Amino acid sequence: MSELRPITALGAAQPRLASFGALEIRENADLALASLALRFGTREPTPFGLTLPRTGRWVAGEGVAALWTGPGQWMIEAQGRVELDFTAELKQVAPGCSVTEQTDGWVAFEIISRAGSMPLESLLSKLVNIDPADLGPGRATRTGLDHMSCFVIRRGAAHVALLAARSSAGSLWHSLETAAKRQEEKVT
Amino acid sequence: MLMPHPLLGLRDAREFSYLGDARLLDRPDPNAPDAEAAFCDYVFLRDNPAGVHRELWFHEQGDRSWLVVTRDTVTHEVLGAELARDVALARKGSGA
Repeated sequence: MSELRPITALGAAQPRLASFGALEIRENADLALASLALRFGTREPTPFGLTLPRTGRWVAGEGVAALWTGPGQWMIEAQGRVELDFTAELKQVAPGCSVTEQTDGWVAFEIISRAGSMPLESLLSKLVNIDPADLGPGRATRTGLDHMSCFVIRRGAAHVALLAARSSAGSLWHSLETAAKRQEEKVT
Repeated sequence: MLMPHPLLGLRDAREFSYLGDARLLDRPDPNAPDAEAAFCDYVFLRDNPAGVHRELWFHEQGDRSWLVVTRDTVTHEVLGAELARDVALARKGSGA
């Protein structure tokens, strides 16, 4: 029998990690994802005790988090449950809703600043054309980044996550790396 | 150019893609006796106004909603935007 080894979105055995000055960029290979959509006339569920966020927002609960993706639609995240059937679990707690497995469709990059929100906001302002006032902690939105469609999630003052199509993981990493490197060179 | 998205506020127009005249929402009844002529007009005939125009835009790199955008084709001024869903439902409700 052939021996199969799982690889990450960037094609390696281990998730990639890199530091640029105060910023650290990490490939998050352990994030399970499932989309949740209301059907006509269904009541909004509270999966795993989570009150689903309003327009343009992200909320975190116990081991799960959710971001608004469109009217009546959310993406549910579960850190560390990538090898479990998270979609089936979500279906159980969202009766009558449309739940679709999303894990393998996306790549997630976590960008963390070790020097407060400033370096992070400066990087974001170079990458996405969104008013920084609309990207405070707890906000999430989908936008274009170097012609790639991606979700920008502000998990905290010094923590942002990007979700993009898994097939463009390499291109997105290149964009982030280039912008972060230039910012690092400018500071030093 | 910025689009006043009814849910998300001002957004870069590059996040959107354009479809065409908002009259495309009024799809003729395929079972009506004059369906063929009605569909011929629906598919091929468009007004091409110099001035205020209502058109369909898709928020492709965003929340994936369809919008009805009112735009002045002479000045490119965007006069307003509403969710196409709301427009279609309101029309259905009024029986028009």
